[in-house]
Amino acid sequence: MSRLGRFLRMVFLLDILQGLWVTLRRYFSRKVTVQYPEQVKEPAPRFRGILRLHRDDQGEPLCIACKACQRACGTNCFDIEGKKEEGAKVMRPVKFDWKLDRCSFCGLCVEVCPTAAIRFSREFRLTGVGKEGLFFHLPDMYRAGQDLQEHLCAGCRRPQ
Amino acid sequence: MALREIDLNMGPQHPSTHGVLRLKLAVDNEVVLRVVPVIGYLHRGMEKLWENLTYTQVVPLTDRLDYIAALSNNLGYVLAVEKLAGIEVPRRARYIRIVLAELQRLASHLAGLGFMANDIGAMSVLLYGFEAREGVLDIFEEYCGARLTVHGIRIGGVPHDLDGALVARIRMVIDGIPKRLAEIRTLLDENRIWKGRTVGVGVIGAGDAVDYGLTGPSLRASGVPWDIRKDIPYSSYDEFDFDVPLGRNGDVYDRYFIRLEEITQSIRIVRQALDGLPAGEISAKVPRVLKVPPGEVFHTIEAPKGVLGFYVKSNGTDKPERVKMKSPSFINLQSLEHMCKGNLFSDVVGILGSLDIVLGEIDK
Amino acid sequence: MTPFVADFLIPVGKIAAVILYPMLMVVVMIWLERRVVALMQGRLGPNRVGFQGILQPVADAVKLFFKENIMQRQADKFLFNISPVLVMFSSLLAFCFVPLGEPIRIGSYTLTLWIAESPVGLLIILGLSSISMFGVIFGGWASNSKYPLMGALRSVIQVLSYEIPVGLTVLTVAFIARSMDLVEIVRRQESSGVWYGFLMPVSFVVFWISSVAETNRAPFDLPEAESELVAGYHTEYSGMKFAYFYMAEYAHMVLVSSLVVILFFGGWLPPFPGVKALSFLHVVPGFVWYLVKIMFFLYLYVWIRATFPRYRFDSLIRLVWKWLIPLSLVNLLAVALVRYLL
Repeated sequence: MSRLGRFLRMVFLLDILQGLWVTLRRYFSRKVTVQYPEQVKEPAPRFRGILRLHRDDQGEPLCIACKACQRACGTNCFDIEGKKEEGAKVMRPVKFDWKLDRCSFCGLCVEVCPTAAIRFSREFRLTGVGKEGLFFHLPDMYRAGQDLQEHLCAGCRRPQ
Repeated sequence: MALREIDLNMGPQHPSTHGVLRLKLAVDNEVVLRVVPVIGYLHRGMEKLWENLTYTQVVPLTDRLDYIAALSNNLGYVLAVEKLAGIEVPRRARYIRIVLAELQRLASHLAGLGFMANDIGAMSVLLYGFEAREGVLDIFEEYCGARLTVHGIRIGGVPHDLDGALVARIRMVIDGIPKRLAEIRTLLDENRIWKGRTVGVGVIGAGDAVDYGLTGPSLRASGVPWDIRKDIPYSSYDEFDFDVPLGRNGDVYDRYFIRLEEITQSIRIVRQALDGLPAGEISAKVPRVLKVPPGEVFHTIEAPKGVLGFYVKSNGTDKPERVKMKSPSFINLQSLEHMCKGNLFSDVVGILGSLDIVLGEIDK
Repeated sequence: MTPFVADFLIPVGKIAAVILYPMLMVVVMIWLERRVVALMQGRLGPNRVGFQGILQPVADAVKLFFKENIMQRQADKFLFNISPVLVMFSSLLAFCFVPLGEPIRIGSYTLTLWIAESPVGLLIILGLSSISMFGVIFGGWASNSKYPLMGALRSVIQVLSYEIPVGLTVLTVAFIARSMDLVEIVRRQESSGVWYGFLMPVSFVVFWISSVAETNRAPFDLPEAESELVAGYHTEYSGMKFAYFYMAEYAHMVLVSSLVVILFFGGWLPPFPGVKALSFLHVVPGFVWYLVKIMFFLYLYVWIRATFPRYRFDSLIRLVWKWLIPLSLVNLLAVALVRYLL
């Protein structure tokens, strides 16, 4: 910029006025805020929410208690025991303990599962009141949504 | 007249130290004489922890080092392990990694610039930067499921493919970034108050910068053209055409300007990568339980904060024997004293912001 | 109109109004600042407490009211307690001399919209607003701690230095209006047809910049900035005492806006008085115009805060001594010369 231009810019505070214009424009622009909890932004399909065990179309659990997830996990969240019933074709889990406070939501367990039994859900509302809510047993692992919230709030007497 | 030294403590809890950093300052009236950083408040024992985990289990934990640019840490570690294990990554995976890494660089610089501007008083720039960053974080959420602790790279390749919808989305996001950058530039670039706070402040010369081991945008702002992506290319960076912006004076203004320019260059790289995405596999065949042959390797990448290096030593089992991480912020922090000497102590926050450190990296 | 009403009730009513008016504006300012800064930054700001967050200041006041009043053992008790009062006192007292509009006739009684009119009203207001400096330095000293003391010293130097351009620029207004009486200045602007802000833009700009610095507001808010090393003279204050400092700052801002409006923008006069087509604007009472103009300047305060980084202390001082004071001196000479020649 020429020296005269720079001088005029300084005297007439043009850089100041330009800055003020930017914020004024922003003042009138549409805001991108999502007002939680009235509005909830839906997470992406691959979102790593809480883990959940899935069943197949007949309602049978997909988990075959192979403990691949337990071996893959880097933070020792899992404690699994399986048993093969008489006449059954595959092993089923009898104990499936999972600790929410240890999980780092990395997804290694989901990747190694041979039957895609354990998967991420899109549930991110994971608040609870007592420590008991952080310890998941086999029936809790199948829960979703509202049921899950009940479990997490196990410490309080909130009526559902 | 004798110097009257006052000891000031910028404690671990402070709105402007980027994390829990303690700075012991010695000032004479207003001029800074000594700066002694005290670190370790965020030490989690990562390197020791990694010795008990398998190579695959370490990858998600590297996210937690530089938490602003998690993917770069993933990439650094994974590249080191792949070099040691001799795993050849398919070309498509390499391109996808570059797309993700450059998007992460963009996001990291926006956050870093925002924090620096906020410390100097321009609060709005922080929020504009973060709003721009949201687009990138949304892409990460679509791609691998998490926004901050991404775990978006696996040993051998990448976990998911970039399909057409995701590519279109990435293009849409990076098309919108230059407008945001223009806003930030209008607010700050020529602003007399900003220039008064940043030009000539926190100067470090090229020779001193190299002596202190400064790397990354801060080094390039002093005029030293060292960028690992150009000088020791990794993961197909040599196939891309991009510029490495260089500064002249090595002051806070240059460090701010370089980061802005790097965002533009990152957009350029992402566009090239998306245009030329080769077909192929997204991951090499890696055994479930990865046993790495004995050996040691030190591999560096250009993380957004500087040169990130991983030294991995293996003894043939599936767990590394020793992983040592050379974090850029740790080394960059050394030069803080040199930069702050002679400046007023109001400048310390600005200089610290321009160095762009992350305590997660420093303390591991 | 009985003497009781005229000599007692009405003055008491005016005093109540003089206390309530800045306090009400302070309440509005708290909300305005947070909402406008947020909207400029691309977020929403307080919008849950009451309609569009209008009750947020009430929530803030209640919170501050219930906070614990901490005072260190080594603090000087008397000075520590008196400094918020001093700062508030100086801001509020100056409002006695600020006129709000033309006198209203109610029957045979003329109600003046000010408590006191003085031929040197301008000088008195400037003097009164300087008393706040004492509150600041007492607060910094009484806190018995390095950082508040340094913050207080910086603040005092800043305020002292910036009072000089303020004084010089209001002198230009006094030259043109040939009076230091605020009411007279507004009347002069009415009779001359052009407001002094357009007649002497340099005076206005210098006065505005200096006033923003006087009130310790961005971009001159280093002494009290949160992200700087020294957190300012009100570090050690909590609860209601801190609320006093906070409210006094806003009250001072309102005072400064009132001054700007009266001196440079015609006070309670509607715009374009000469234009016949816009004479419907006269229907709106003067007081409303006054409020509209003040709100514009308060908005300008917040707008500036949301936009610019902070001046470093030495740049601040350099700005006033090397640029603003010489500029205002030259300006004063120019105005005096023009006044003498015409």
